[in-house]
Amino acid sequence: MVQYYHVCKRELWFMSRGIDIDRETTNIQRGTHIDDTSYQNARKSFMIDNRIQLDVLDSGDVMEVKVSSTLEKPARMQLLFYLWYLREIHGVERDGVLAYPTERKRESITLDNSATDQVESTVGGILDVVSRDQPPELEKKPYCDSCLYQDLCWM
Amino acid sequence: MPKPNHHIFADGELSRNEGTLRIDTLEGKTEYLPIESVDSLYLHGQLDFNTRALGLLNEHNVPLHVFGWKDYYRGTYLPKRGQVSGNTVVEQVRAYDDPARRLRIGQSIIEASIHNMRGNIRYYDGRRGKFSNTVTKLEELKQSVSTTTDINELRSVEGNARKKYYECFDQILRDPFTLTRREYNPPTNEANAGISFLNGMVYTTCVSAIRKTALDPTIGFVHEPGERRFTLSLDIADIFKPILADRLLFRLVNRQQLSINDFEDELNGCLLNENGRMIVLEEFEEMLDETIDHPRLNRKVSFKTLVQTDVYSLKKHILTDEPYHATARWW
Ligand code: SF4
Repeated sequence: MVQYYHVCKRELWFMSRGIDIDRETTNIQRGTHIDDTSYQNARKSFMIDNRIQLDVLDSGDVMEVKVSSTLEKPARMQLLFYLWYLREIHGVERDGVLAYPTERKRESITLDNSATDQVESTVGGILDVVSRDQPPELEKKPYCDSCLYQDLCWM
Repeated sequence: MPKPNHHIFADGELSRNEGTLRIDTLEGKTEYLPIESVDSLYLHGQLDFNTRALGLLNEHNVPLHVFGWKDYYRGTYLPKRGQVSGNTVVEQVRAYDDPARRLRIGQSIIEASIHNMRGNIRYYDGRRGKFSNTVTKLEELKQSVSTTTDINELRSVEGNARKKYYECFDQILRDPFTLTRREYNPPTNEANAGISFLNGMVYTTCVSAIRKTALDPTIGFVHEPGERRFTLSLDIADIFKPILADRLLFRLVNRQQLSINDFEDELNGCLLNENGRMIVLEEFEEMLDETIDHPRLNRKVSFKTLVQTDVYSLKKHILTDEPYHATARWW
């Protein structure tokens, strides 16, 4: 949800309504865990509250893999949300690592005050989007061409 | 690119062989069909099949359209829904049940349908006859759609348009093909037989497209539920018949790919014979793969995809109230 909110609010709305679309279309599904094979050795996946799946590194940091350069913000926000969730719901403070497998680079992420504000406004924003009767207005995004909903969304 | 349809003409038996479909023909041939590469399966011969074969179709979400003797359409086995969306069906029923919403959807469908009829007639105006009066009349009828106040009135506008439209067929179709009057059950002459057969193919194409959404094929907006067929498919087929069926018939007849010898008279009816059906089906499938530029999607789409996106548009309208863009020919 968090990633979709930052990628396309319209897509988030469609998702939240469980709107299905033919999965055979040539458009590639933009997965949140596209790179399941990278860093396989050094991370473990945990499912928390049956809701969120975290990849935790041996160092204890939470990792999020960045899928492509256009999706940096969504990935960052997803990770910050995990850190926030761990802190607020479970009282566990952790740092995060944003991983760029194709570039073999990593970036450390900390949940500071400004990040906390961003996460909280994201959560509020998500609630706002999914409670609307209509999807947010149509507007061309760079992701449209690879979006699963394209044929429904633009028609 | 959507997957292709597969047509089986042989008589014999259809069974499951682990993950593939197996066809044993009466002539003693065995064929295997990789089910993953099939969009919809069409049976034109006499084939026996069992629940295991149906189970495989089910698993791969492949609708089975069954044609019987002389290729009369018999019915469709729809796979169990892959993705259930109770919400979609609830909203579809609500839209059907609300006279204003239902009328609005019906109007979009009929407007597009008349627009597409008019496109065909306009194309042949001057080429095969003088049709400017019909073109004008169809334009007027299309305009009058928006002022209809109920479904019956809408249907009568549609009926008038179709009548005017079919009146031009005699001139459009190269001699000796004549339509005289649109008749079915059974079709009374070659032109009627050709139209009926192609309309059947358009209908099944729509059935398959609707199946890929969570829409309920039995709840239509222009046609009343309770008719023998899937009424939503009949609705969508009305939009596409001029584009997919009539246009192809004109082309096949006028280029003499199809002749009067490709038909046969049967007990007071007329039908395509085997050779004729093969020609028509081959050309129909080829046409489904033809592509055109789509301005809203900003890419080339095939005619088959066009049927699919029309259904998506309707579905989106039902769920969000954003406008439904019934496919009106723009090319
Ligand atoms: S097609 Fe574009 S606007 Fe529509 S949901 Fe996808 S990304 Fe959003």
